[in-house]
Amino acid sequence: MSLPVAAARPAWLFTGRRRLDPIRVASLAACALAAAFLAGLVGLLAVQCLPAWRHEGVAGFLAGGRWFFRARTFGALPMIYGTVAVSAVALVLALPVGLGAALFASEVLPPRARLALKTVIELLAGVPSVVYGLLGVLLLRDWMYRLLSPFDPLSGDTLLTAGVLLAVMILPTVTTFSEDALRGVPGAQRRAARGLGLTRGTTALRVVLPQALPGLAAAALLALGRALGETIAVFLVIGRRDNQLPEGWLSAEPLLQTTRAGQTLTTKLGGSETFLAWGDPLHWAAIAGLGLVLLALVGAVTLVGAILVRKRGGDAARR
Amino acid sequence: MATRRTDRSRAALALAAPLALVLGLALILAACGAPGEAPDGAGTDSAVLRVNGSTTVNPVVSRAAELLRAERGLEITVDTQGGSSGGLAALGEGRVEVAMSSRPVNQHDHDAYPEVDFRPVRIGVDAVALVVSRDVWEGGVHALTRDQMQAIYESRVSNWSELGGPDVPIAFFNKEPGRGTWEVFAKWLYGDPDEAPLVSHLEVGSNEEGRTKVASTAGAVTQLSFAWADGETVFPLAVDSAEGEVVAPTPETVAAGRYPISRQLLVVTDGEPTGTAAELIDYLVGPEGQKLVEKAGYLPLGDADGAVAAEEAPAS
Repeated sequence: MSLPVAAARPAWLFTGRRRLDPIRVASLAACALAAAFLAGLVGLLAVQCLPAWRHEGVAGFLAGGRWFFRARTFGALPMIYGTVAVSAVALVLALPVGLGAALFASEVLPPRARLALKTVIELLAGVPSVVYGLLGVLLLRDWMYRLLSPFDPLSGDTLLTAGVLLAVMILPTVTTFSEDALRGVPGAQRRAARGLGLTRGTTALRVVLPQALPGLAAAALLALGRALGETIAVFLVIGRRDNQLPEGWLSAEPLLQTTRAGQTLTTKLGGSETFLAWGDPLHWAAIAGLGLVLLALVGAVTLVGAILVRKRGGDAARR
Repeated sequence: MATRRTDRSRAALALAAPLALVLGLALILAACGAPGEAPDGAGTDSAVLRVNGSTTVNPVVSRAAELLRAERGLEITVDTQGGSSGGLAALGEGRVEVAMSSRPVNQHDHDAYPEVDFRPVRIGVDAVALVVSRDVWEGGVHALTRDQMQAIYESRVSNWSELGGPDVPIAFFNKEPGRGTWEVFAKWLYGDPDEAPLVSHLEVGSNEEGRTKVASTAGAVTQLSFAWADGETVFPLAVDSAEGEVVAPTPETVAAGRYPISRQLLVVTDGEPTGTAAELIDYLVGPEGQKLVEKAGYLPLGDADGAVAAEEAPAS
């Protein structure tokens, strides 16, 4: 009996010349399964949202400022703006703090304290988002309501509230990845810098930090990926107000708008409108379209982040 | 040769495990999907009581059907194709024996099915309160007219002082569309939820969320399911009824049908209910059924009894 596979058999599936490695075969099957699920997911979303692209046009859907499903108007821009604004606020707040904590842990703390701190931070990164959401409703909403009173917000539900909550959520992620990036800079560099008479602070800021930059950017992007996709924590503190766009883009308006309520892609998808849309092909297509836009945003950010992480790993290996 | 065969069988095993998993999942999914097609075949079986209609009434009736199946072996299928109107149409066409409806039987139904003797029986009441935060209540706003509520909904007023209240901006939390509460509210305000203007307000979902946010926001107002308007953290407003009197939402006014932002939860039969239908309806208006009504978040009948309610339910 001849084996048809034998002609073009991939060597990496075999342990010896003839022995098929069950572990490698199984992992190949698992990988194929995962890839098939992902491809199926993207394909399904892409097919289901076709009617919306046809109805609104790609530009109309992405840049349209009005979403009224009963009027068959589907413009996603306010939600894209909301997503970007909330994530930007979160990053602006979390990056400096996270980077500072990472510098402290990596360059100042003795190894044992550093390990303890890192364990705690990684535990924090694993806290389920619904816990942050509850804290947001209980504490942050009222606190932001009082803090923002000069801007006369209608309630404590604002883009800024959501952004601050997300900042707290992604802070552990930013810190732990940044710390990894800083530790990736070889100790020899530090010793050389110290040997040249540089202070500890100068060494950290002028020698270690610049070399860790790609890794720090990766930390920011991976955290951004989490912020973009977060739903539950944001859902209860953003107000879920549709069709809110700043009055102009080249002014302070986009910033001021964050003191008001809004909607993100995720909070729209998490709302009850998704249930209403089911059974109405066009409405459902518009909802699926939001899902695809979100997937594209998160996917792009995560991909760039992952590439930067690999690049850093490559650099370190070369040294 | 022998080694090769062992290798192949081992590889086959490794490949088969995930495949079997996928196949198993597919089978389970297929099995779950299958029952959806079953009701078509039930059309000829007169031993099965068929119920269809409102998704609002559905939780109560479905639960009752489950319990009756377990306790008395009754065969009842409950479906929600097309909501209240779908249920009444199915009853008119003789496709079901009992319709569930969260709106009264109207002239349109009588015109469409002149030979059908619609007999509505009320099993409970769903009411929506307009609740405000403490500062608004203590600022003197205790009632709103329909016109005033429309002005708020359409953002034609933005400060409570325009409505005789304190100088505080109005923070209106709109119940998400798709929620039954919003439907009842919009029906009261505009006659038909489809006629409600297109607006973008702050939105709330669950009753808990609505109550918490109103309680913690100055100048807040929202629509809240009656059972949640506690009068301690949020304060229910009185509204003007069709007769022009100002009615506060209380169990009495709601039960009597005087409070306007409410709807009857009805089950409807063609003529006097008999057999399994009668047994189901008796159960629903009885103590066990009324407990289910309360559990689902609606008002039980209270003083009003089912038979009286059947005559009260307007036929036009």
